[in-house]
Amino acid sequence: MIRRAAISREAIVGLTLVGVYLAYTAVFWAYPFFWLAKLSVTQWRFFDDPVFVGARNLVRIVQDPQFLGSLWNVVRFLAFYLPLAFGGSLLVAFGLQQVGRGRAFVALCFLLSNVSSGVALSLVFLKIFSTTGPLNNTLYDAVGIRIPWTNHPTLAMLAIALVVAWKFVGYYGLIVYSGLLTVPKELYDAARLDHAGVWRRLVNITLPMLNPQLMMVLTFAILVSFGLFTEPFLITGGGPADSTVPPQMVIYETAFRRLQPSHAATMSIIISLASYLLVVLARRLFERKVVIA
Amino acid sequence: MTPRLRRLLQAKTPGGWVATIGIYALALTWLYPFVWMVAASLKPTAQIYNTALFAGDWTLDNFRFLFATADKLDRPFLQALGISALVTGTVTVSVLITSAFIAYALARLRFPGRKLFNDFLLLQMVIPTAMFILPLFVLVKELGLLNSLSALILPSAMSGWGIFMMSQSFRALPEEYFDAARLDRASLWQTVTRIVVPLNTSIIAIVALFTFTGTWDNFLWPLIAISDAERMPLSVLLATFSKQYGGYAGPVMAGAVLQTLPLALLFLLFRRQFLQGMALSLK
Repeated sequence: MIRRAAISREAIVGLTLVGVYLAYTAVFWAYPFFWLAKLSVTQWRFFDDPVFVGARNLVRIVQDPQFLGSLWNVVRFLAFYLPLAFGGSLLVAFGLQQVGRGRAFVALCFLLSNVSSGVALSLVFLKIFSTTGPLNNTLYDAVGIRIPWTNHPTLAMLAIALVVAWKFVGYYGLIVYSGLLTVPKELYDAARLDHAGVWRRLVNITLPMLNPQLMMVLTFAILVSFGLFTEPFLITGGGPADSTVPPQMVIYETAFRRLQPSHAATMSIIISLASYLLVVLARRLFERKVVIA
Repeated sequence: MTPRLRRLLQAKTPGGWVATIGIYALALTWLYPFVWMVAASLKPTAQIYNTALFAGDWTLDNFRFLFATADKLDRPFLQALGISALVTGTVTVSVLITSAFIAYALARLRFPGRKLFNDFLLLQMVIPTAMFILPLFVLVKELGLLNSLSALILPSAMSGWGIFMMSQSFRALPEEYFDAARLDRASLWQTVTRIVVPLNTSIIAIVALFTFTGTWDNFLWPLIAISDAERMPLSVLLATFSKQYGGYAGPVMAGAVLQTLPLALLFLLFRRQFLQGMALSLK
């Protein structure tokens, strides 16, 4: 009898606490979710009443060259970013394994960029990459050339990818490092007995054993590429000629400059689906179950 | 050569030493943008691009400009700093308190629908938040909160991620602590503040750090929700200042230092919890 009373009191406290969150989430999560769905099938311009238009928004945005261009920009960004992310994170991970006592110091150096301000550092890189900036001055003194980082479509995308990689490589490196710690030493000993060289050991043991961590890096990289906004907005402004416009910036401009929130809502649904599908596809293609037999 | 030095040198192969020095060099290179930013903020604008990193006439004029002169350009930096601090502080405290109690309920109390709630949090974490920015704008507009500090605080006052992370950690506590609390007839408040919180400082520090950083450096949302320079947080004010007065490189860099400083200090202060927490979140 007393026991049952205690349980039900516990249940009331639990339900109340969870209820507070559910009420909050109903207003700030579920309601916006409902609006997003509603906007995607109606025509609305902030001040009038929404009018049902069915799939017309979808038809309009798949013909919008800027939106399609921004999706292509995601691919171009990933083409630069993925090699930087994988190369950088492996380098950091092997480095952390190598340094021994100074490990925490090295990790903190690489992580500071990850936790500091994206806004402030975008402005710093805007100066660093500028025609008369320190990077170009150093290059000019060394080899006598200046690189027009933000005036050339491909170079501008490379610049954005470098900045974003600078921000995230430390974090990715820590993920890969945590995977390196779990690789059994015996595997390398056995490989040495078989006279496997450094390269063979890397390709046949280390990389396959790191598959879960590398998949995590790939997933994060895909999510970052679709969520990009601050860096292109502040460093290149999307230019030159829309060559670095990310989807989030097209959504922002469509909603608040061109005042077409219905189109913007449809775009953000498409973008979320696209990033989800790309993550699923990547997992299908590259995820391996590692079994030590 | 002293024996100690010899032993140190022999601890690694020559190749190992090259790799070690290389990684230290790379780690220090990673800090270059920060060093350049601080140096530039302390030089007159005319000297930023044409002096060596540590050369030039050092001055605090850029900061003085930011706090005194920028006001007259309708760019109240001191006020923006206050707004950022107020908004970020409120959000962080609110997220920490609500997350701790709700996570305690989720991890340790038995009630119907507990498993379902856990799955719901996971679902929320999978759906990207960027998707919500536009409809959130509609909601905040309907509530009449555009251009107010509430628009910056309310949408992030609670965090499903915070609840989830804390509950994962709270689950690992031994049941004996809670048996003892029940025997002592400890209230909910006492149980959470005297037992759960002191035993989980690492995860709480992580949630605090990420919430603080995310709110302080949030850019897209305040850019949309706040159009009045009087109400802008530092991140947005700095960006609009840079767009309009990009030629004032010195003051822009001084603003960048202000924007970065609290984050860098917190990170250095809580570095141990941060590294521990990273290890936690990677498992």
